[in-house]
Amino acid sequence: MILYDAHHLAECYAVRLLAVMLGCDLTLVPVDVYPGHEHHAEAFAAINPLASLPVLIDGERVLTDWQEIMVDLALRHDAAWCPLHDPALVGWLGMARDLGGSAGLARMIETFGAPGDADAARARAAILLDEIERRLWFGERSGWHWLMPGPHPTVADLAAFVFVAPCEDGGSSLRDRPALRRWCDRIRFAPGFVAMSGVFPPMANTADLNAG
Amino acid sequence: MTLLEPGRWYAVAADHDLVANHIYRTTLGGHDLALWRARDGTVCVWHDRCPHRGVRLSLGEVVGNELRCQYHAWRFGTGGACTFIPAQPDRKVPGAIHATVWPMAQASGLIWTGIDPVGAPPALPDGAVIRAIPIDRCAEDLERAIDGAALPALALTIQPCTADRAIVRGAATDGDLVRADQALLALRRRLEAGA
Repeated sequence: MILYDAHHLAECYAVRLLAVMLGCDLTLVPVDVYPGHEHHAEAFAAINPLASLPVLIDGERVLTDWQEIMVDLALRHDAAWCPLHDPALVGWLGMARDLGGSAGLARMIETFGAPGDADAARARAAILLDEIERRLWFGERSGWHWLMPGPHPTVADLAAFVFVAPCEDGGSSLRDRPALRRWCDRIRFAPGFVAMSGVFPPMANTADLNAG
Repeated sequence: MTLLEPGRWYAVAADHDLVANHIYRTTLGGHDLALWRARDGTVCVWHDRCPHRGVRLSLGEVVGNELRCQYHAWRFGTGGACTFIPAQPDRKVPGAIHATVWPMAQASGLIWTGIDPVGAPPALPDGAVIRAIPIDRCAEDLERAIDGAALPALALTIQPCTADRAIVRGAATDGDLVRADQALLALRRRLEAGA
């Protein structure tokens, strides 16, 4: 399977992160979105008329929605990562998409010069981050570690994480959102975690030092 | 900044905020703080700056009974002293290299610190520790609002963060955390709307 990818786009990172955690091989084809604007070039329009990334090519199938790609990979490799029986999944994926249009947009405006109203994006992000913080805090009281019940993260966690973890690059703050910071750490320390610009991976040999 | 009264204890975290292998981050009176719990149970309240290059220690990691800075992986023991510099593994670490350590006390399920605090932290009535609610108002405004509001079964204490932000902490004496949360979020909406 081929993934058209741009390293700095959170939506692409969500797919890469999920693929590594699921142990699924993707052939990455980097697209120079910034500063090259290759996604607006004629060659890319033939692949995805929406001019968006990521794009998954699987034989004859072409998937152009990042969440659809995540669900597709999870259903094929480990359906427990995509609890479709629980309507909360739809709510969380919607929340993650909203984060993309707020915290994610503010990051794109501040760090990559994307057009948009950064203050309005941050104001919307604050409401979403506060609500996820509240749900995570009460979830912790019930012994939950993830957005949805279960022993490991799901596509919902990763879809939200890719906007929450680097949100300070867009001027949002995690300082007074301690449950979100703990949840980010749980994902960072989950097996198979990979980083992107603005998201720290665990430092070398931390697990070894803590196991000793 | 003069947001803090010397001699007084301020609650800056809940016990449950300090989970294993995690560094909690907050601000008290304009001072950035990093809090963490070592494997041996010691709770540390430190200035959130590495003495080496000034990077936030809360970006680092807990390794056993030490905190390791994200930037150059210098390690610091629970007393604040630097214990290991990876770039100079064979040299003795100079004793003067220290994280800045703040006073620490644990009481009523909360972690307390302050500037030269005197005696023991205030004792809150028994109850379940509530979710801390940050509010974009100064601590004095918040105190006045709390004194004038009907907030039954809540024992509250205020953490001044900056000149225009404070955090409400405390306990629900009836154990009803959801009700406490709703009451304080309503207070926050009311105060921030009146800004």
